[in-house]
Amino acid sequence: MKKLNFTFTTRLTFDNYVHDHSFALRCMPVEAENQHIISCELDISPFVTTKQTVDAFGNNVTSGYLKGEHRFLDYEIRGVAEIDNSLHRTDYMPCYLYQSGYTKPSAEIAEFYKSISADCDCTTPYDRAVYFSARLSEIMRYEKDTTDTHTTAAQAFEQKCGVCQDFSHIMLSILRLDGIACRYIAGLACCDGETHSWIELWTGDCWTGFDPTNNCDVNDDYLALSQGRDFSDCAIDRGVMFGAYTRQLQLISSQLLTSLY
Amino acid sequence: MTDTVLTPERATPVGNADEINELLRRYGVKFGIYKNGTFKEQLFPFDPIPRIITAEDFKAMEKGLIQRVDALNMFLYDIYHDKNIIKDKVVPEDFVYISSGYLPQCEGVTPKNNIYSHISGIDLVQAKDGEWYILEDNLRIPSGASYPLIARELTRVASPSAFSGNDIVDNRNYAKLLKDTMDYSNCGGINAILTPGRYNAAYFEHSYLAELTGSVLVSNDELFVEDNILYHKTYSGGKTKVGALYRRISDEYLDPLTFEPKSLIGIPNLMEAYRTGNVGVINAPGNGVADDKGIYYFVPKMIKYYLGEDPILKNAPTYLPFYEEDKKYVLENLEKLVIKDVAEAGGYGVVFGSELSKEKLEEFKNTIINEPRRFIAQEVIDFLDLPILEGGEQVMRKADLRAFVLSGETTRVWASGLTRFSRNPDSFVVNSSQGGGFKDTWVLSR
Repeated sequence: MKKLNFTFTTRLTFDNYVHDHSFALRCMPVEAENQHIISCELDISPFVTTKQTVDAFGNNVTSGYLKGEHRFLDYEIRGVAEIDNSLHRTDYMPCYLYQSGYTKPSAEIAEFYKSISADCDCTTPYDRAVYFSARLSEIMRYEKDTTDTHTTAAQAFEQKCGVCQDFSHIMLSILRLDGIACRYIAGLACCDGETHSWIELWTGDCWTGFDPTNNCDVNDDYLALSQGRDFSDCAIDRGVMFGAYTRQLQLISSQLLTSLY
Repeated sequence: MTDTVLTPERATPVGNADEINELLRRYGVKFGIYKNGTFKEQLFPFDPIPRIITAEDFKAMEKGLIQRVDALNMFLYDIYHDKNIIKDKVVPEDFVYISSGYLPQCEGVTPKNNIYSHISGIDLVQAKDGEWYILEDNLRIPSGASYPLIARELTRVASPSAFSGNDIVDNRNYAKLLKDTMDYSNCGGINAILTPGRYNAAYFEHSYLAELTGSVLVSNDELFVEDNILYHKTYSGGKTKVGALYRRISDEYLDPLTFEPKSLIGIPNLMEAYRTGNVGVINAPGNGVADDKGIYYFVPKMIKYYLGEDPILKNAPTYLPFYEEDKKYVLENLEKLVIKDVAEAGGYGVVFGSELSKEKLEEFKNTIINEPRRFIAQEVIDFLDLPILEGGEQVMRKADLRAFVLSGETTRVWASGLTRFSRNPDSFVVNSSQGGGFKDTWVLSR
């Protein structure tokens, strides 16, 4: 068990004024068996009233509507959480067994799965995941700016490089081919500085985390913000706004520190 | 009209077809289609010989439709909540979760009064022996009710004497049925009909139904969600709460913050307002899982499961190669069956075994063996043809019937419906985009 102080800040700036800006944030960490949220505060600027709901995947959704003209949207969460990954979540949904938009396997992924599953004599879902991840990390390279948030598992696998989102999607694709239910987690990890993503797989009676990007188990240095079938269910922020042709710049920083008290 | 008793066999042309079609044109009764990247509006040709359904026939059909739609609504609630029908192994879970109409985003969301399908369009055909068969259920945004409504109205104009007797049930109550349905699912506020706009295939219908029901016809840029409440922007710059939204856009475009992010016709955060119970969405998102081709097979079982009743209306005899016994039958009788790909829609992926060559048949058998879950197979129904006027002559053509079932405080069937027919004598396809036409549907009162 570990106590973590977390902060996560996003600054969205627009080239030009925008208005009628609707947004939905999935950044408030969920209270769950393996993470107890002691405190969490959300600040949004410019001032806007917000509402909280819980979506079908169990995520906290903060929604808002900025009617007037503005050129930025900042939000920050700050809080303290107790993480204990010796405990496991049990919020199962059957859809996690099936491929979703980002994870649809290409022929190449299916071929790769065929070859690694033929070599795999593990029997438990967890052991199989560990084996598949090891084989995946032999051929996939971590490299920034080679993919974006729209990149699918098939596209990332074709170029054999990508970031955490891509590693997670490919891993989900492979596990679902293997008949193992699994889900995408968006969150924060120690030493990352941005957001991170990893996966959880269903062992038969509970979820177990695994980080395919670093090819390692999920220890108590991870804080989950949202979960779903893939990135599309978990996007930490989504928004629609009106304005002249506008480019937006998003700066993100996060900090996850072991609490000193 | 003569004073002889009306029967289905005695249907004769009413009014002058050219005159009514001209009136339809002037009223803008059109549907739009996209062909080769351009938008074209077409008239929906009207045939003046009505389809006549006897009072007795309609009564049985009505009971069967209410039973079916009630069971489908219970199924939708069950799928997005407890999933008992899957746990009890009546419906295999694969068929539910691989269906593109199943939306996990709707899990646990409960529409007001547990009604998911407020307006159901159930397609039926009558066989030569008089028996009605269900062809498919349309539980998302079934269109077409406006056509028989306005055709009846214009026939009245063109031929005032046609309805002077009391034999034919007045179909003008559709507006009332629809308004009652919207009111019952209204969560406080106005009723609004959301249209993707002027270039949508069914724009005429959207505007016509808004007019008849006293709803506001809106496009998405007139709506916004604030504090999880859906508002309509008024002309004076104010806002009015919307309590029920009869949306005529499909699920995937409904809310760009929950579904397709690139949607330009949706309303951001509508799902949050709906989830919170601040607005009724008609029909509920996620209904596609119940009108899926693969799920169709299970509707009679659903009726038994949820209502403990025997289905009154029959499905077309259907086989699922997913089951060994059915697979055996399908492989042995492929040449006389019609095969449908469950993933395809709109007439695509439909293959008549009788039209396949010997090699193609063998090839298809292998596909079914390899992917049994992908297909359903049906017996070809011997349709009862209906007369239409073609160049002044009466000729017989294939036709179906879309019955409209509205679920509010009670479930009610509109005593009319959209009869579509094929102009091509050899075709079973009655789809309006394939050049087919429509007729009025008369239900006799006695």
